[in-house]
Amino acid sequence: MEALELARLQFAVTGSLHFLFVVLTLGLAPLVAIMHTRWVRAGKPLHERLTRFWGQIYVINYALGVVTGLVMEFQFGLSWSGLSHYAGDVFGAPLAMETLVAFFLESTFLGLWIFGWGRLPKRAHLACIWLVTLTAYASAFFIMAANSFLQNPAGALVRGDHMELVDIGALFTNKTLIFSFPHVIGAGLFTGAMVLVGASAYQLRRRTSEVEFFTKSLRTGVTMASIGIFLTVGFGYAQFAGIQEGKFKGDSGAVPLGIMLEVGQWLALVVLFLMLPLIRFLPRWRWTHPLLMLMTPLPFVLAIMGWLAREMGRQPWMIWEKLTVADAMTPGLTPPMITGSLVAFAAVLGLLALVDYVLIARVVRRGPRDLDLGAVREPALTY
Amino acid sequence: MELIWFTCFALLLAGYFALEGFDLGVGLLLPVLGRSVSGRDRMVAAMAPFVLANEVWLVAVAGALFGVYPSLEGEVLFGLYPVVVAMLLSWILRDTGLWFRRRAEGAAWRGFWDLMITVGSLGLSFGWGVALYAAATGFGSSLLNPVGLMLGVVVTLLFAFHGWTFLAWRSPDLAGATRSGRALAVSGAVAALPAVGVLLGSLPYLLDHTAPAATLNVLSVMALPFAPIVVAAQVWVWRTFRPGKNAIRIPSFF
Repeated sequence: MEALELARLQFAVTGSLHFLFVVLTLGLAPLVAIMHTRWVRAGKPLHERLTRFWGQIYVINYALGVVTGLVMEFQFGLSWSGLSHYAGDVFGAPLAMETLVAFFLESTFLGLWIFGWGRLPKRAHLACIWLVTLTAYASAFFIMAANSFLQNPAGALVRGDHMELVDIGALFTNKTLIFSFPHVIGAGLFTGAMVLVGASAYQLRRRTSEVEFFTKSLRTGVTMASIGIFLTVGFGYAQFAGIQEGKFKGDSGAVPLGIMLEVGQWLALVVLFLMLPLIRFLPRWRWTHPLLMLMTPLPFVLAIMGWLAREMGRQPWMIWEKLTVADAMTPGLTPPMITGSLVAFAAVLGLLALVDYVLIARVVRRGPRDLDLGAVREPALTY
Repeated sequence: MELIWFTCFALLLAGYFALEGFDLGVGLLLPVLGRSVSGRDRMVAAMAPFVLANEVWLVAVAGALFGVYPSLEGEVLFGLYPVVVAMLLSWILRDTGLWFRRRAEGAAWRGFWDLMITVGSLGLSFGWGVALYAAATGFGSSLLNPVGLMLGVVVTLLFAFHGWTFLAWRSPDLAGATRSGRALAVSGAVAALPAVGVLLGSLPYLLDHTAPAATLNVLSVMALPFAPIVVAAQVWVWRTFRPGKNAIRIPSFF
């Protein structure tokens, strides 16, 4: 393969892996924050256990989101330095905001939330998870803004051999951003909620002793899944108003787009017109549980399809009608270099992703006992 | 304006060395000072609350490189291609080692991930020495240049010493000695010296390659107002996890 194809493959593999974990992070963060809020307000042990159980799944998932994200950030310089040469003055601004402000705060507050258990005052500890959620969403916004600039280079002008930022407002009100950002947020909420649904269905199907715990989780999941899929589908269709002309004409991006639309619509029907009306009965109807479990991976698949459609539909452009991917590739990048790093990143991250999912599955199977998150040895003695 | 952003960039890189330096140092010292599983548990627990707040400084360095020095970003990272790939893999292994080591039972599981923490910390520390030397020589020299390799050893030793000082500050019984907060600040400053030296040496070159005023203005208006919040969050971490009675909690999440 040519260096260009290899570099694109590397970005596709690491980017897809990254988003599998990010989409769940975006969904679980607000769900855990809501559970934590209920715990602080009502002070019930059930809410504390909900926060710790789903929080533990959230942070195990988070680990892979971070390490795959590191590779994403540095890949721009390794493989695509033509992009920073040509449009770094524009593209760099949202990227710098994401790293200097949003992710910086997110990581700091997450550390405080995880390790501040039992040390921080209750309300300060609660504030941490909401700040984590807020900054995670800000991160998503800046990344989507950067990506939208590639789809539709608004707010910038070509001066000589490169682009310069002329209108920051136009950069952040890009027509390919305003609907794609809530679409991604909706997809995140839907994914996180369906993980609650699937995991609870698994426990209830196995006749868990934690009936109240997983009944509540299942219902929270169905409620949030309804909100999530409603946003996803609504803002999904709204995006077609601002799409580049000819983006999906006979291109490879059309196939993933078709799959996402087709399956997504069916899922919306099932969630909004079957699961939501039956929310009271679902926890008791054990025959539905295998079906609910089978639905859990679908949002992940659709999220990847969505990205493939958006990114493959953009080809051969890196920046729509301004810079091709071939011109954006780092000059001097050779197939052996990129093959070496591709194999290393794909192998290491792929393996770690697999281990991470096994670890999440173990937490789901064990249920809300012996959790590491917020664990205190001999709680009876310390209080 | 160029000078303000150079200072920001320098502070971020120096901050990374001074803060993440001790996490990497503790990782390096795991097999030396943590002979038993419970010993390593306590060492990891000592640094655990700081890691997320420390490693993120490098994420910010890379973001600032893209925002403030876009024309250099590709040159620097591509010039160091094999080193950057190796350092990223090291960083990934160190991080997953921390996140995974206590997620399953068994001495073999924890031993394996503890080894990954040490290997990753070593790769990052050594890689920094090599990368700094290559940057200082304008990427003209071979990455296997003996002086570069020696600087790798020096940075590794500096981080190990900084990690030891951190342990002696936060949990003296782990290091077998007690060090004050001031001693920790000094060892942090020393750990940051190689990075600061290279940055000051390349000051004129960096100023010449700064993004245009329009971009810097946008960055200043958008990012600088958040600087006090970012600093406050970092201070909050240090206040919350300062040494004292019960400083180290077992079980720790990492």
